[in-house]
Amino acid sequence: MNKNEEQFIKRDRMRFTKNTLSSGLALLAILLNVFYFVSIYKSDVGSYYYNILIGASILYNLIFMLAVFLCSEGVKSYNSAYACVLLVVGVLQIVRIFILPMRAHGATVTINQQETVVMQTAQFLRVVLYLCASAACCLVAGVVGLQKSRALSAHMAELEQKAA
Amino acid sequence: MATLSLQHIDKIYDNKVQAVFDFNLDVKDGELIVLVGPSGCGKSTTLRMIAGLEDISAGHLFLDGKDITQTPAKDRDMAMVFQNYALYGHMTIYENMAFSLTLRKENPNVIHKKVLAAAEILGLTEQLNKKPAQLSGGQRQRVAMGRSIVRNPKVFLFDEPLSNLDAKLRGATRREILLLHKRLNATMLYVTHDQTEALTLADRIVCMSMGYVQQVGTPLELYDSPANLFVASFIGLPPMNFFDVTVGEGVLKNDVLSVPISVEEQHLLRAYAGKQIVLGVRPEDIVAGGEVMVNVFSNENLGMNTLVHGHIGSSKPEHKITCKLKGWCDYKTGDQVPVTFVRKHFFDKETTKAIRGEA
Repeated sequence: MNKNEEQFIKRDRMRFTKNTLSSGLALLAILLNVFYFVSIYKSDVGSYYYNILIGASILYNLIFMLAVFLCSEGVKSYNSAYACVLLVVGVLQIVRIFILPMRAHGATVTINQQETVVMQTAQFLRVVLYLCASAACCLVAGVVGLQKSRALSAHMAELEQKAA
Repeated sequence: MATLSLQHIDKIYDNKVQAVFDFNLDVKDGELIVLVGPSGCGKSTTLRMIAGLEDISAGHLFLDGKDITQTPAKDRDMAMVFQNYALYGHMTIYENMAFSLTLRKENPNVIHKKVLAAAEILGLTEQLNKKPAQLSGGQRQRVAMGRSIVRNPKVFLFDEPLSNLDAKLRGATRREILLLHKRLNATMLYVTHDQTEALTLADRIVCMSMGYVQQVGTPLELYDSPANLFVASFIGLPPMNFFDVTVGEGVLKNDVLSVPISVEEQHLLRAYAGKQIVLGVRPEDIVAGGEVMVNVFSNENLGMNTLVHGHIGSSKPEHKITCKLKGWCDYKTGDQVPVTFVRKHFFDKETTKAIRGEA
């Protein structure tokens, strides 16, 4: 088997196999996001988290999980639209670092006349790590999905041309 | 491809029931052997022993001269096609066909080439992205065969692969198996209880009953020269007619039947003079006009032929007869039809063995 033939077969395999890499990465992104939101909320910081921002954050987590799960199924069958959604969601995961974790890291609350830090540095680094990893998974899944779907489209066009 | 040799194979289950007795067979390279017999005769057990799915209680199994009696199934390099297809419902056809090679960690590009080649042979190229539930029974059976082909095994084993299909599909798939055998020139063992499959597919047939091999031979040998009463009754559709007769001077007689026999037949039966034997006559070896009178019971027109069911003399079960007469006949119940037996088979009443020239 020469290199050209190997490349051709590699592309041709996509007609019958699923993009499990992108799909798996998307599912991993969900898992990392779960780690993020179970790590961020603490109950010993008074009413710091009781505001609309937190409500939106919880809602976003739910939407994120649903959207990324759908994308994982979409990219599995080389759908480029779902790959684009994953790229957008990946960028949003980065943006999220600057919304809740950053604010909570710098904030303090008074509990029993004592100043208490809402988010310690260790916790901050942990949640940022989860968000970054989740974002990376989404971005890589999106990029790989986009590349593969384009390669498959080109391959299908090539096959159609050959058949004609 | 490969040669297979089964030597004095026995199968005794833990509950002491013996399913196979002293099975001996040499399968040549590229040969298609059909194991045929009624349910419970031990044919599937024999196939499963060859595949390694059942332990061999006694005897030896050789593949290409190498003793594989104790070799585990996975190392025997044989592929088995089951009656119920055994496909993975959640996988596509492509994935089903590639599965065994994927487990062996073969190069994905090589797997791809093999799967496409097998799909091309079996006409499944358009179905590769579908799930088994989306295919017809015949197509699913072809997928099961494709899964075997991609492995390129030394021996293909088929365990009643067509039993789940309707009559039309069975015929079509049977022809496909025959073409596949010619194309691959593979050594194949095929189990069926359907004699039509056996006669149309086999290079050689192994006819079994009650765990014993009754006869091994080409389809024509089994049809033309059955070794005993069992083979004679099992091979042929409609089945052979049997009559208990006494060998007389130039005639075979019983209380309702008197059939003249030729000089050659007299010579053949000289050792049985005055004794009872079993006379066998195939329905298609009976022609209209002659010395035997048949009282017609029913008449089935098949187009080219007519099946006439009736009895000779009395309506006792042992006097029943089926004739396959040429052309379109319109006999009514109670009609008397004279017939002649153009070809006869003789069997020893005690041993049930065929009476041959050397008897």
